[in-house]
Amino acid sequence: MKAVIRFLSSVKLAIALLIILAVASIVGTLIPQGRTAEEYAVRYGGLSSAFIRLQLTAVYHSLWYLALLGLFALNLLVCTLTRLSPKVRRARRPHLAADPKSLAAARIKDRFKRTGPLADAQADVQSGLKRAGYRVRSSVEGGRACLLGRKRTAGLFGSDIVHAGLLVIIAGGIASGLGGFKTSIPLKEGEVAAVPKAGFEVRLDEFATEYYPDGAVKDWKSTVTVLEGGKPVLTEIVEVNHPLAHKGFNLYQMDYGSDWESVTLEVWAKKKSDPAFLRKFNLKPGDKAALGDPEGTEVFVRRFLPDFVLGEANQPETRSLQPNNPAALVEGYRGGAKAFDGWIFAQYPDFAQMHGAEGADLVFELKGYTAGEYSVLEAAKDPGVPLVWLGSILLMAGLAVAFYWPTWEVRAVLEEAGGKTDVVLGGQAAKSRDRFEKEFAALVAALRRTP
Amino acid sequence: MNESTLFAAAMGLYFLAALIYLAFLFGKKDKTAKTAFIPAVAGLVIHTGALILRTVESGHAPFTNMYESLSFLAWATALAFVLINLRFSIPKAGPYLMLVTVALMALASSPLMPKETAPLVPALQSYWLWLHVSVTLLGEAFFAVAFITSLMYLSARDPEKKDKMDSVSYRAVAVGFPLFTLGGLVFGMVWAQKAWGTYWSWDPKEVWSLITWFVFALYLHTRIVMGWKGKRSAWIAILGFLAALFTYFGVNYLLSGLHSYA
Repeated sequence: MKAVIRFLSSVKLAIALLIILAVASIVGTLIPQGRTAEEYAVRYGGLSSAFIRLQLTAVYHSLWYLALLGLFALNLLVCTLTRLSPKVRRARRPHLAADPKSLAAARIKDRFKRTGPLADAQADVQSGLKRAGYRVRSSVEGGRACLLGRKRTAGLFGSDIVHAGLLVIIAGGIASGLGGFKTSIPLKEGEVAAVPKAGFEVRLDEFATEYYPDGAVKDWKSTVTVLEGGKPVLTEIVEVNHPLAHKGFNLYQMDYGSDWESVTLEVWAKKKSDPAFLRKFNLKPGDKAALGDPEGTEVFVRRFLPDFVLGEANQPETRSLQPNNPAALVEGYRGGAKAFDGWIFAQYPDFAQMHGAEGADLVFELKGYTAGEYSVLEAAKDPGVPLVWLGSILLMAGLAVAFYWPTWEVRAVLEEAGGKTDVVLGGQAAKSRDRFEKEFAALVAALRRTP
Repeated sequence: MNESTLFAAAMGLYFLAALIYLAFLFGKKDKTAKTAFIPAVAGLVIHTGALILRTVESGHAPFTNMYESLSFLAWATALAFVLINLRFSIPKAGPYLMLVTVALMALASSPLMPKETAPLVPALQSYWLWLHVSVTLLGEAFFAVAFITSLMYLSARDPEKKDKMDSVSYRAVAVGFPLFTLGGLVFGMVWAQKAWGTYWSWDPKEVWSLITWFVFALYLHTRIVMGWKGKRSAWIAILGFLAALFTYFGVNYLLSGLHSYA
């Protein structure tokens, strides 16, 4: 047991773990993470199955990486705890007794003799230290007075506060991993959806995309109302960087798209033989409208594809849900029977060609399309977040203390000999030694001058 | 007076400072070092003006593309040098740090870097852009000081100069490490939580920040607890700066991930 604790509390283990974790983390950035087995096979050939088995394709979620992090946390905990109690003792009940020889061995030291009895000299040194901002403790034993002056005692604990902060952050990470929950909720305008496990619903009142003058997207804004038991409780605009918080859940603006099922098309019909002939229609797929020509033609919109492409066997299909190449299949009917059809393209008006002799004189153009938009919100609950923030505050406070709140100590041993008092001083500073040396020199100079 | 004029003027002044510092290296006259510090500070002031103008013109923080962020990193490096020089007096590091600053600005003005001010994409519209990027780059600038002083430690022969470079290198890390932790990791987590809904995604830039942090944690533990100083310490500081450099630069060009802005 003792050996285990010694192992877990060693700084050497910490150093080894820092190196191993750094190297393991690098590996995870060199091998793309979380791809399919096929992709790895193409990339790494015969090695791919070994990579997958060793979890090099999901390093940060692998058992071995988590085990390393766990060992790191344990090391941090044991190391900090075993060093804590001696430090607390040093802070609260420091060992006062010292002898002049040990002080003379210190790196920062000085000594002088002064007239007068021990008690006077002790009082002067004590008040000199106090004036310089040191808290002084003293003991007198066998004709020898030992003084300890110390300032910024909290500085002893800077690294412990840093370590505590890291442990709290790691605890937050564990809480996130175990209790975190995330789901995406696609919503059309006006639609209501329950947020899973949350006990409330959300309604998308409005979704808008804002643009800069140059056409780049400025913002996506979802106006969202939270409903509890069907009753609205709050309405807020959710945008990127501005999530909505409610009952421990956060709702983020994650994605958006057009609801092509609700698309309305603006279709123009012209005649090659009659430049004055122009008819404009607003049609949804499945709508039929009379063209108003002497032949009694009816126009019917069969299909709409936002990103037209000829797929397998030359069948039209959509490549994506983005309007990269919007196209509509238009059909013409005469006397109730289909007479002609053809695809028309918003971006390529000249490309339209009606198939069927009766449509040869007609030209259709897809002038515009408007579709309702849907917004994808992400609902997330993460019990680890408050711990991560608390740990971060501790971490930063600890770093500030460790680097910029240095504990400085001055020890003095006074002995009376032949009507004079011999004063030996030694200083100790783990940090900011150059500034301390200056202060120490000034302190000793002031003490030499008194009385 | 426009931003690119000020940028060029600042770069010229830094270069002048580098030349005078070089003269100081050979002549070793204290007066030369004092003279060199003047264009260094003047360059910093004018460079500050350039960054302010850029902010006013674009209406957002001056680090949203590679040109802007390199210019800001150059500014931060000059600032770190000026501050460390005021506190610890390291004129011998002057020529190298001024040349690093000039090199960063030269890289920023290369035709490969897009320079136009572009409106902010939705993901970057947050005051955390200011806090996250500026504090992180400032931390990295102090790592650059530690890098240069560590290299100088390794190449120096004079034990007094070696001692000085070793201690200044540590002091630069003592400033850079808290800044990098705050800006890169803590502010980064806060912003990620707000924008992406999760404080940590194991995105390559995040992982490389963590790696950089591990290396400097190693530096501090070996130095403070195990008493490593000098050579080994210098090598770890150099390694740490290279990791920071890769986090800043390499990740964008060599690895893909969420941080695909600048």
